[in-house]
Amino acid sequence: MTNYVMEARHLFKTYVEKKAKKTKEVGGDTCPTGKHIVDAVQDVSLQIRKGDIKLIFGPSGSGKSTFLRCMAMLETPDKGQIFLGDEELTKSGVDVNKARARIGFVFQHIYLFRHLTALGNVELALRQVLKLPKEEARKRALDALAEVKVSDCINRYPSQMSGGQAQRVGIARAIARNPDIILLDEPTSALDPELTGEVIDTLRDLAREGTTMLIVSHEMPFAREVAEEMIFYDEGKIVETGPPSQFFNAPNTDRAKRFMDRIINRTTRE
Amino acid sequence: MDAWGTFITLLGGVPVTLSISIISFLIGIVLGLPLAFVRVYEKRARYLVDVYEKVFRGIPEIVLLLLFYYGLRATFPFPFGSPFFVACFVLGLRSGANQSQIYRGAIRGVGDEQMVAGMSIGFSKWKAIWHIMIPQVFNFSTPGLGSEYALLIKDSAYVYIITVVDVMFQTDRIVHSPPYDQVTSYVLAAIIYIALTFPIAFWLDKWGNKRKKKIGL
Repeated sequence: MTNYVMEARHLFKTYVEKKAKKTKEVGGDTCPTGKHIVDAVQDVSLQIRKGDIKLIFGPSGSGKSTFLRCMAMLETPDKGQIFLGDEELTKSGVDVNKARARIGFVFQHIYLFRHLTALGNVELALRQVLKLPKEEARKRALDALAEVKVSDCINRYPSQMSGGQAQRVGIARAIARNPDIILLDEPTSALDPELTGEVIDTLRDLAREGTTMLIVSHEMPFAREVAEEMIFYDEGKIVETGPPSQFFNAPNTDRAKRFMDRIINRTTRE
Repeated sequence: MDAWGTFITLLGGVPVTLSISIISFLIGIVLGLPLAFVRVYEKRARYLVDVYEKVFRGIPEIVLLLLFYYGLRATFPFPFGSPFFVACFVLGLRSGANQSQIYRGAIRGVGDEQMVAGMSIGFSKWKAIWHIMIPQVFNFSTPGLGSEYALLIKDSAYVYIITVVDVMFQTDRIVHSPPYDQVTSYVLAAIIYIALTFPIAFWLDKWGNKRKKKIGL
């Protein structure tokens, strides 16, 4: 019996990135085969307890998103183990789809189902995965939409919403099932600053309610406010972990220090 | 027979032409849609789908019709060996091969992200296909389906060769009986075929555009 909600043990994932056939020489770097192997996740271990809020940040292309997708088994890791509670998801023969119903996932580019309204988006899993009766599914979907404060556009299609509304519907879709944990992959990166605020407010509410979350984000003020632990991720590895105060005051590693400097100097707002 | 009489006689074949086209179109959906998904999402079976598509797209209509007609009629009792049944069956199989390709393009249009989003809420691959991909696939395939339907109407003209009494069969009969007025008969047949293909293709296009607007494309 573990007391972790979710745990990754020695996870590995590489993928082959296909590049344009003729890659030009850039600074002596050639890519003659046109293929490029990316070590997105290299021996990453992570434990999350109930109510934890952990925030992963790091340069783009470092493999953060791939790691998060592996955690949700949206991509199959090459090696290593993932546990959801006591259940090992990486074992062969495990019903991964069933496990995924207990994990909420929020995408950077939102990915709402375009043919369904906001309500339809949230209801779908309640009806078809949890198999709830119609009225109960509707009630829970409406509750979730109210929680993220989009009750005014429940009958709109994704194309008729603003990015902030759409992303909050995306969050409602993830929380309506009462998942054990919510994984958020840069939930605000595709939004403009004003809309980012709406989504951050929603996440802050979730944090206040004790929702277990693993978030990939570069929203530093938000991180400082809600995260118990920040994880600096680079080149497929966890470089440094610690409380926000450690990163904001004096990161232990040079790499993290340089990255924080750049981010803080850029984030002049607030 | 005067032109009006000819026209009325040709119209008598319209129900048959229409029902053959509609039935084979539906057979095409039933075959083509699952095959398109198999082709995209089941690596192991994709070659079988390829073979089916290549075979039915590569053999002329008329060869298929004669082959199946004489083959089936010898093997199966009445309803399955009947000219009408064979016509629907052959055109349906051919349409399935075409439609499979149309839907395959549409699946790419819907995009893999929708599939991943479906998996993320706990759907299996096939459940995500059913609830998320299929409802959207039609939005992306209406232009192709419009021309596929027109093609079926037109190609259904071949079935007179296996004695199905459609518009073309009536035309052929009139042409070969006194006063042997070929031009009038063929012109009238052409008008009827245009009238059958145009509205539906037009309507499909319109419907598709409306749906696409709704989902924001």
